[in-house]
Amino acid sequence: MTAALEFKNLTLGYDRHPAVHHLNGKVAEGALLAVVGPNGAGKSTLLKGIVGALDPLTGEIDRNGAKKETIAYLPQLAEIDRSFPIDVYDLVAMGLWHSAGLFGGIGRAQKRNIEQAISTVGLDGFENRSIGTLSGGQMQRALFARLLLQDARLILLDEPFAALDENTIADLSALIARWHGERRTIITVLHDLDLVRSRFPESLLLAREAVAWGKTNEVLTADNLAKAKRMCEVFHPDAPVCEAAA
Amino acid sequence: MIARSVLAGLFALMLGVSPVSAQEKVPVVATFSILADFVKNVGGDRVAVSTLVQPNGDAHVYQPSPADAKTVADAKIVFMNGLGLEGWLDRLIKASGTKGAVVIGTKGIKPQEMKDEDGGHGKEHAREHKLDPHAWQSIANVKIYTANIRDALIAADPGGRKIYEENAADYLKRLTVLEKEVKEAVAKIAPAKRRVITTHDAFGYFAKAYGIEFIAPQGVSTETEASAKDVAKIIRQIKAQKIPAVFMENISDPRLMQQIAKETGAKVGGTVYSDSLSDEKGPASTYIDMMRHNIRQFSAALTS
Amino acid sequence: MYDYLISPFIEFEFMRRALVGAFALALGGAPVGVFLMLRRMSLTGDAMAHAILPGAAVGFLFAGLNLFAMTAGGIVAGVTVAVGAGLIARSTGMKEDASLAAFYLVSLALGVLIVSLRGSNIDLLHVLFGTVLALDDATLLLLAAIATISLLALALIWRPLVLECVDPNFLRSVSRSGAPTHLVFLALMVLNLVGGFHALGTLLAVGIMMLPAAAARFWVKELTAMIVLAIVLAILSGYLGLLLSYHSGAAAGPAIILVAGILYAGSVLFGPVGGLKRHFIPVRHLEA
Repeated sequence: MTAALEFKNLTLGYDRHPAVHHLNGKVAEGALLAVVGPNGAGKSTLLKGIVGALDPLTGEIDRNGAKKETIAYLPQLAEIDRSFPIDVYDLVAMGLWHSAGLFGGIGRAQKRNIEQAISTVGLDGFENRSIGTLSGGQMQRALFARLLLQDARLILLDEPFAALDENTIADLSALIARWHGERRTIITVLHDLDLVRSRFPESLLLAREAVAWGKTNEVLTADNLAKAKRMCEVFHPDAPVCEAAA
Repeated sequence: MIARSVLAGLFALMLGVSPVSAQEKVPVVATFSILADFVKNVGGDRVAVSTLVQPNGDAHVYQPSPADAKTVADAKIVFMNGLGLEGWLDRLIKASGTKGAVVIGTKGIKPQEMKDEDGGHGKEHAREHKLDPHAWQSIANVKIYTANIRDALIAADPGGRKIYEENAADYLKRLTVLEKEVKEAVAKIAPAKRRVITTHDAFGYFAKAYGIEFIAPQGVSTETEASAKDVAKIIRQIKAQKIPAVFMENISDPRLMQQIAKETGAKVGGTVYSDSLSDEKGPASTYIDMMRHNIRQFSAALTS
Repeated sequence: MYDYLISPFIEFEFMRRALVGAFALALGGAPVGVFLMLRRMSLTGDAMAHAILPGAAVGFLFAGLNLFAMTAGGIVAGVTVAVGAGLIARSTGMKEDASLAAFYLVSLALGVLIVSLRGSNIDLLHVLFGTVLALDDATLLLLAAIATISLLALALIWRPLVLECVDPNFLRSVSRSGAPTHLVFLALMVLNLVGGFHALGTLLAVGIMMLPAAAARFWVKELTAMIVLAIVLAILSGYLGLLLSYHSGAAAGPAIILVAGILYAGSVLFGPVGGLKRHFIPVRHLEA
């Protein structure tokens, strides 16, 4: 099985302080991987590194030649200007950027795709609502619809279910399962361990360094979780230079 | 030792030969170029005149610089026009702390009011009528300016009394000659054609003294913006009364003038100078030159 | 009625020109104004009025009181300030408004310095700004060109511009056109502002850009509709404002802005989208 991603001695961080420290490993294509760990463990940072928003301090990420258009990323706090006067339809349609580009018209087939995506996430009838009138859950559904249209091979989700109700979580989890069925590679940062155990076959327990990586029920043991908790969350103001960096 | 006495001798020679060694020039300030010209003519070599608003500058909206404050502080006399021309001067004088005398050039002149823009003298208005500060446009008034300047210089520098009186008398003679020239030139213009449009309502005194009617699209100073009503009025008037010429003066936006001229078919006359002299190379570098230039421009446009 | 509303424009060429000029400014400026407002850059217009001074001053140094030279210099200075501030904001932690403030203040000081080099304390900005009643052929052409360029450019960068406003991170993740789009938009803004200053004066240029946009916000919820409405309100302000100046003798520029302001006030009070009227006239809600 080819690797969609390979981390080679990867260190990512801010201001020389590592948030992800010497990570090694492969993410297989078609994997459904949950990334878990305590706060400050570097989970969001890892996703940012994968999508290219952050350059590695040392090491590298081998994306197996994947181009920008094939990676979709849903950040933790979407910095969307809710007061901007567009409606759900237009927001979702943004997902077609790569096929429509600057001027490309949106043909009838694509219009159907947009409507279908909106329907799939359960937002039927919301096409013409301003995005400013959506609840948190509805906005998240809309963003998933956009992701749907992006048709990406690698999908990165950072805490997609934070503060959502059970219905929404269930619906969106079903969508993730569908993507998994389509052999897309999905990496999701999550806090809800029960959800991880029930829906995610593979997990990476991160506490800056990889504590455990593999099958979920082998990773999420009480021992491992305790170990991860112990690892320091705070940046050391006077940390020495890392000897292993060479 | 010989070298030293030779040096001392040379020094004494130099001092003796130098014309200004006996006394320093009287430092005076004039607020703008036209006034400065009067002062130079009366004061001659005995005065060093500094001008605040330079040629091609706008005395209505002038903003003094720190250098100006120093100039004013060092001056023995500050000559100003008065009649509301220099709204910025009081603060400058206070800020400079000058001990010089402040002399108002227009003292003793009978002031005119600004022309009422609505043209109705019978209308009752609650607002007060502003005084027209451009008193120098009448040569008769300039004679009064000259006398005021002469008296002020004598008061500050009694030693120069004879020179000031001579200079003033000479200047008054030249002004009389100029006045005759202007009146003759106006007489040559057909009475029906003695009207002109300019951008700046600065010729009120000229109009009253010499009989040419001046109509302006804007208010007195260059700060007030035109209204469509005023512009329409001017255009109607020009068309109805077949006013022959429009003139641009050297300060404000020429585009408005050109638009009016274009729409009425009136002739665009040459530049006339109203609030300041031109620079040295220009046709109006002294007051007398300025008046001659202006009347020539009016004649040329109105007698063709 | 005809006499009141139409005949001034029939009778006087300068009135027709003024109307055409206001119309052109509305076409180019109102859409830019809508985006400025939505991006919280509404005060940029005033900052730009000062920022262009050194450009005009350099033009003045070389060519004297030549309006073309000063305007060209103004555009160069304006674009430099806008683009420079924009680039700094994007590549450092500085926010857009602070970046622009820093740039325009330095620019203004530089301009005053350059002017004082020439010796006279002439109020350059005063001279640089025109009046809507004196639009000669060259100026009308300039306004028309700016309107055309603005509309074409906006059509070109529409998608990335909207994305830039709504979800800049998403745009960054799918395309590299975010930065150039933003800079093109800033350049358009400068073009409309400086052209507007040159032709019509600061008050009118900034006012026609921002007031109709702000008013449109209260009537429609969708971007394209907002832009169209802003243009319509801008044209209406121009037309009624000119009539006001004509019949009452009020100065032309302020009269137009006054009308725009009244339209805005009306929108605040009675506009269905977030206006004040819902406080006074309760509306019954829907079932779902």
